[in-house]
Amino acid sequence: MATDNNNYKRIIEILRNSRPELIRPEEIEDEVIKRIIRQKRPGETVTALIASLFGWVYVSWVRRSLIGAVTLLVAIFIYQQASILKQVNNLSKKTVIMGNGQLPASSSEFDKKLTLYKISAGFYSDREIQISEKRLEELLISYQDLQGKYKDLVRIIEENPELKKYIENKLNEKRNTKPDL
Amino acid sequence: MKKEILNLIFNIMKNRKIKHLISVMLIIAASCNEPETVVTNTVHPDGSVTRRIEMKNNENNFALSDLQVPFDSTWLIRDSIEITGKGDTIWVKRAEKFFADVEEINRDYKADSGANKDIARHAEFSRKFRWFNTEYNFSEIIEKNMSFGYPVREFLNQEELKWFYSPYKLKEEKKNGSDSLKFRAFNDTVDKKLEKWYMKNVVSEWIGEFAILTGAKADSEMTQGSLKKRENEFVEIVQKNLDHFDSLWQNGTILREFIGEANSLKFKNEADSAANIATERLWIDFKPYMIRTIMPGKLTDTNGLIDSAGFLLWPVNSDFFLTEPYLMQAVSKTPNIWAWIVSGFFMLFVITGIVIKRKS
Repeated sequence: MATDNNNYKRIIEILRNSRPELIRPEEIEDEVIKRIIRQKRPGETVTALIASLFGWVYVSWVRRSLIGAVTLLVAIFIYQQASILKQVNNLSKKTVIMGNGQLPASSSEFDKKLTLYKISAGFYSDREIQISEKRLEELLISYQDLQGKYKDLVRIIEENPELKKYIENKLNEKRNTKPDL
Repeated sequence: MKKEILNLIFNIMKNRKIKHLISVMLIIAASCNEPETVVTNTVHPDGSVTRRIEMKNNENNFALSDLQVPFDSTWLIRDSIEITGKGDTIWVKRAEKFFADVEEINRDYKADSGANKDIARHAEFSRKFRWFNTEYNFSEIIEKNMSFGYPVREFLNQEELKWFYSPYKLKEEKKNGSDSLKFRAFNDTVDKKLEKWYMKNVVSEWIGEFAILTGAKADSEMTQGSLKKRENEFVEIVQKNLDHFDSLWQNGTILREFIGEANSLKFKNEADSAANIATERLWIDFKPYMIRTIMPGKLTDTNGLIDSAGFLLWPVNSDFFLTEPYLMQAVSKTPNIWAWIVSGFFMLFVITGIVIKRKS
C-alpha cells in the first residue's frame, strides 16, 4: 500500500515538473486577453449605442450645424404660428353678415343700371337689344303702371296750386342753370 | 305675340323721352324673374372642389339662359318649394357637382351659355408646403371689362370702398336701421363719387379706343397721351351737357369742342365707334349672384366677408370687375402633424446630445 502511494506521488511529481512546451506563448496570451475583453458586461451595449449615436457631439462642426438647424426650426415654428395667430385675429375683425347674405341682388344692379343709363344714354343712338316676349309683356305692364302713376302725379300737382308753382319754379331754375351749348 | 325673341331696335325711336322711358322699363323688366343664386365652393386639400348652387325664384322658371353660373344636367339636382313668412311660394333648385380640380370648373366657365356667358371667369387653386403647415389658396377671378378704366379705389376712401363692396342687403339694413339718416347720406356721397367714376371711365375708354381707331391717321395732338391730358376737360364738357348730350353728340358739337372742327369732321366715324365700344364695356350685361367658399383647415386670409355660419362670402356685381379684375380669394392652413412630430424628435435628439457633451 505504501509502495503504491509512493509511486503515485512520484508520477505526479514527474508530471508537474515536465511542463508542455508552448510554441507561441504571446499569441495565446493575446487570445486569452481578447476573449476576456469580448465578454459582455451588464449595460455595456446601451453605452456603446449612445456613444455611437451621439458621437457627433465631439465633432465641433456637426454639433454646431445641428444646433443651428434646431434654432432655425424653432424660429420657423414660432414665426409661422405667430403669423397664423395674427392673421386669425385680423379675420375676426372682419364684417360678419347675418344670415347667408342672400339678397335680391338685382336691386343693386338696377340702381347701377339707372345711373349708367343716365350718364351713357347719349352714346346709345344706334344700340340694338333683344328682349323676350315675356319681358316685353312685363315692359308693357310696367309702362301702363307708370302711366297711371304719372297721371296721378299730374292730378295731385294740378289740385295743389302751391305745389304746382313750386315745381314750375324748380323746373325754370334747372333750365336757367344748364344752358345749351 | 310670337314666342320667339323679339328684336327691339332703339334707333327707330326718334323721341328721346320715349326712348328714355322704354330704356328704364327694359332695365326693370330685365331685372325681374332672375333667380337669386348662391354658389358654394367647398375646397378640399387635394384641390378638388364640391360646388353647390342654390337658386331661388318666385316661379318655377330656371331656364339655363337666365342662370348666373354654368350648370347642366350632369349636376345632382334637387327641387323644392319653400313658403315665406308672408305666404309666398319660393321655388328652390339645388345642384351639386364634384370637380376633381379647378380646371374642370374653368372648362365649365368657358362653355357657359348662361346669363353671364360674356364675362371671363376662372378659378385658381394652389397648395404650398411650409413644413409645419400646408397653405391652401383658392380664388375665383372675374376679368376686368374696361381696358382704360380707373380703379374704383382712386375715387373712394377705405370706408367708402367697404360700403361699395358690401352686399345690398347689408346696405339696405343700415339705410333703414337706427342710424338711417347717416347711412343714407353716406350712400348718397358714395353714389355721387361712383357717378364721377363711371363718367371718367367712359371718357377714358373712349379716348383709348378713339386713339387706337385713329392710329397713324391722327396728328400729334390726337395721340392717346395728349388726349388723356385733356381728359378732365372732356369729362366737364360731357357733364355740363348731359341733358342734351344725345343731340349735341349727334350734331358734332361736343366732339368739335374737344378735338377741333377739322378733326371732328375727319374722325366722326371713329369717334362714334369708340363711343359705342366705351358704353358697351360700361354697360355690362350681367346678372349678379353670391359666392361662398369653405376652405380646408384654418382660414388665415381673405378679401371676402364672413357670414353668420362662418363661411366666406362675396357679392358679385358688375361694378366690381368693371375696371380691374375682381379677385375673390381665400387662404387657409392645415398643420402637418407628422412634421411637428419629426421636428420634436429631432430637437430632443440634439438637446440630448448637448446634455451628454456637457456631462462628459
